[in-house]
Amino acid sequence: MHEWALAEAVVATVEKIRRENGGRPVLSVSLRLGELQGVDPEAFRAGLAAALGGLPYGPETFRLLSDEATFRCRACGRLWPLADSPGISQEEREAIHFLPESAHAYLRCPGCGSPDFALAAGRGVSIESVELGGD
Amino acid sequence: MIDPRPEVIGRRLAPVRRILAYSSAKGGVGKSVCCVLSALALIRAGCRVGLLDLDFQGASAHLLLGVQPHFPEEQGGIRPLRAREALDFMSFAAFSRENAVPLRGGEVSEALLEMLAVTVWGPLDFLLLDMPPGIGDELLDVLRLLNRSEFVVVATPSALVLQVVERLLALLEELRLPVRGLIENMTRLGEGSARATGTAGRGVAAAAERHRLPLLGSVPYLPDIEDLLASPDPLRGELGGVFGGIARYLIGQERIGVV
Repeated sequence: MHEWALAEAVVATVEKIRRENGGRPVLSVSLRLGELQGVDPEAFRAGLAAALGGLPYGPETFRLLSDEATFRCRACGRLWPLADSPGISQEEREAIHFLPESAHAYLRCPGCGSPDFALAAGRGVSIESVELGGD
Repeated sequence: MIDPRPEVIGRRLAPVRRILAYSSAKGGVGKSVCCVLSALALIRAGCRVGLLDLDFQGASAHLLLGVQPHFPEEQGGIRPLRAREALDFMSFAAFSRENAVPLRGGEVSEALLEMLAVTVWGPLDFLLLDMPPGIGDELLDVLRLLNRSEFVVVATPSALVLQVVERLLALLEELRLPVRGLIENMTRLGEGSARATGTAGRGVAAAAERHRLPLLGSVPYLPDIEDLLASPDPLRGELGGVFGGIARYLIGQERIGVV
């Protein structure tokens, strides 16, 4: 699963933070899963479990929080949520799941039709916080 | 917020021995053609080769390779597509198909990071990067994220192209980056390298000499090159000679420890 690659990246980053902090225990990790990428939380947790093999903390250490995807049009300034782009086909959603920037091939501003928009929030996977023992 | 993707890129590319970025500061000089033909020649020489099309806004390597864009398989990440039976291949076109992809610089960087973080390359002797023209976001991201890249610079005998390409060479020299040589593309009879024409100080060969770089090969101007690329064996005839020589040179560099 594609989610496994993202989970592996998260664990590699948390491990780097742990190493840089003298190997202090990892108590909790908060992750943001952007709506645009449509990461499957179950598949992502399975990926975390696989990537955490042999490490002294498990998938239960990770808190998954979802972020609504919103876009901002650079032409007319309109802010809109992904839900306001109803014409996306299943195949286009799949493309955006693999590579969120594919949205620029398929979405347009619902206000003015411009392809020049920015993703204001909810793109993909990011680490919000890592709590280490002794913090 | 911490972006987890950069941390895993080194691991994704660990099975890749060498990364060659086919670059030019100018568009339309045939980077993609030279990159694709080099990849096929390296495969013919027995190497395991991958090709990553980094020209997100003008992806065309899939057209030259005859690959119908489709979603990659998922297995611990995404697996490269297969082209010409032996070439591992990845392109933005796998997701955008033949749609226009209007991206700004930050979005280009995001897409590049994502592709590098989730694409699982198998063991490769060479990963060739088909770079977009210019010295903008993609080049800067390659320098940042793929800092063991070696460069192959493509130019045509056009004075205008050479002027712009020499700026790229100067930048790569300033940054002390390894440039493996120049490829002269679209050489017409009588206007090619200075060595061939005796036109001192002009041409791609003269530029190569100025920068103390080898001229890896001169590719003749072939009006039917797209038909040749679409044929079962694009390396037959003259192209096979030129790119076979380039492949041997690139492989030989490794054997004699120049890398």
